[in-house]
Amino acid sequence: MKKVKKFFQYDNIGLLFAFPAFLYMLVFVGYPIISNIILSFQDVTMKNLVRGEKHFIWLQNYAELVRDSVFKKAFFNTLLFTVCCLAIQFVIGFALAVFFNKDFKVAKPVRGLLMMPWMIPITITALIFKFIFATDVGILNYILKSIGIISKNVEWLTQPDTAMAALICANVWIGIPFNMILISTGLTTIPKELYESASIDGANKLQTFIKITLPMLRSTIESVLILGFIYTFKVYDLVYVMTSGGPVNSTHMLSTYSYKLSFEMFQYSKGSAVANALLVVLLIVGSFYIRTTTKGEET
Amino acid sequence: MKEEKRKINKQNIIYSILAIILLCVLLFPLFWILVTSLKTEQEIFQIPPTFYPHVLNTKSYAAQIATGDFNMFQSFGNSLIIALGAMVIAVTLAVPASYAMARYQFKGKKLMLLGFLVTQMLPVSVLLTPMFIMFKHMHVYNTWYSAILADATIGIPFSVLILKNYFASIPRELEEAAYVDGCNRFTAFIRVLIPIAKSGVVVCAIFSFLYAWGDLAYGMTFILDQQKRPMTAGIFNFMGQYGTKWSYLTAFAVVSIIPVALIFIFMQKYIISGMTSGAVKG
Repeated sequence: MKKVKKFFQYDNIGLLFAFPAFLYMLVFVGYPIISNIILSFQDVTMKNLVRGEKHFIWLQNYAELVRDSVFKKAFFNTLLFTVCCLAIQFVIGFALAVFFNKDFKVAKPVRGLLMMPWMIPITITALIFKFIFATDVGILNYILKSIGIISKNVEWLTQPDTAMAALICANVWIGIPFNMILISTGLTTIPKELYESASIDGANKLQTFIKITLPMLRSTIESVLILGFIYTFKVYDLVYVMTSGGPVNSTHMLSTYSYKLSFEMFQYSKGSAVANALLVVLLIVGSFYIRTTTKGEET
Repeated sequence: MKEEKRKINKQNIIYSILAIILLCVLLFPLFWILVTSLKTEQEIFQIPPTFYPHVLNTKSYAAQIATGDFNMFQSFGNSLIIALGAMVIAVTLAVPASYAMARYQFKGKKLMLLGFLVTQMLPVSVLLTPMFIMFKHMHVYNTWYSAILADATIGIPFSVLILKNYFASIPRELEEAAYVDGCNRFTAFIRVLIPIAKSGVVVCAIFSFLYAWGDLAYGMTFILDQQKRPMTAGIFNFMGQYGTKWSYLTAFAVVSIIPVALIFIFMQKYIISGMTSGAVKG
């Protein structure tokens, strides 16, 4: 008893404070991760989930995935979707951040209002964009027709390429505020003197942007892009509600394909294998973020 | 001097106009569903579209109280219970944990921190099937508890990582003064430190609530009964069944945005602080 008391006397008392949260995460996240890995080595389907007889088939699920054309398509889609979204939302977000960093009356309240899209449940965002991209009733087709870009209603969500474009568009709408606000915060940390001395030296706007703004924002840009990658790569709700991976599996992402395998086709083990593939990519990219975040955490 | 002032003034006006145009373009989707939700089904399909409801129709909202295979107000209540439940669990567990992370060097701290960081980036797909099996065994499958327990796992790591910075910024002297006044570590934490870190706790509560409010995957997978499902799952279900009944769908959308909008209006500063400190090292 005395020993226990002594153990918790100094810093180790922190364990008592931290343990409940850690235990919770261990039970509801740690255990599922492990059991998901085990599951992916087994052959669990609807039938033997109930009966409880499962067999280890080791890498067979993964071997099947490698040959699975939908899986390959989903992997490629996820990558394409992520890269397109990141590039577009980063550029727009950056431009808006620079614009709202200027000193004018409505800058702050308007920038605040622009946060709205980021907070709305993604299911609702998906619904809104499904409505905007709808073939007959959609406002987008009406606008494009009235300015003469198209002559006939486009069936955005029922053709592979346009469906993907619609998904990217909706996701960019969610991502812009996130990029904007983080870059805005980064911009405020750049000392004004730097710009003053640059303008005394006769640098023009483009030069100061390239020579001062970008280098000073390096760590901000890094974390915006890495976090953006992680959030975008695991996209689920948006795609599931807007296209459900259709038409004919052409817009499946790793997450939606995993869901389809597990909860529509009840091939739990195969779905787990897809989820693990997704996890591996996230962990690789995430490790860069973790390295930069935990640097200097020693205090 | 006067010339320059006029120039700045002019610039101010141009920028402000530009900002408002940007606002209108970017928030148009929200305006559009609000307007649509107040139109009749007939007017929604009208070409050219109307930019405000010519015939004001509130039936899409009212119909959901009276009838309903999908009762909007019930599922609103379900969402509220689930989101509040997840929020309470997340905040109760994360507040002490973040304090420990900020103040003490204990065994396993680095491992825990790494654990919280990693769980923040997990895709739901990895957790869905194992949780599904686990909740079946725990007999909470198809109840609110399953969604509450699952949603809290999003709020906890976020809250720990954010609040850690708040607690780290509190001067140690304040804590030591509390000890001198006779507090022990627990009472000092509750009576002195939590009140100081209050705004951080609010940020965590808001975000834990919002994450759970917006969740679709957990609510849809773990709860099958329409009467217990959260709004997001109910709306998705409705879309599957009735396809394009846009007057109803947009009304649902507006109702589920209401709590978000309220939080947004009254607590904007917390949200921005949460977004920035959560992502970038504080």
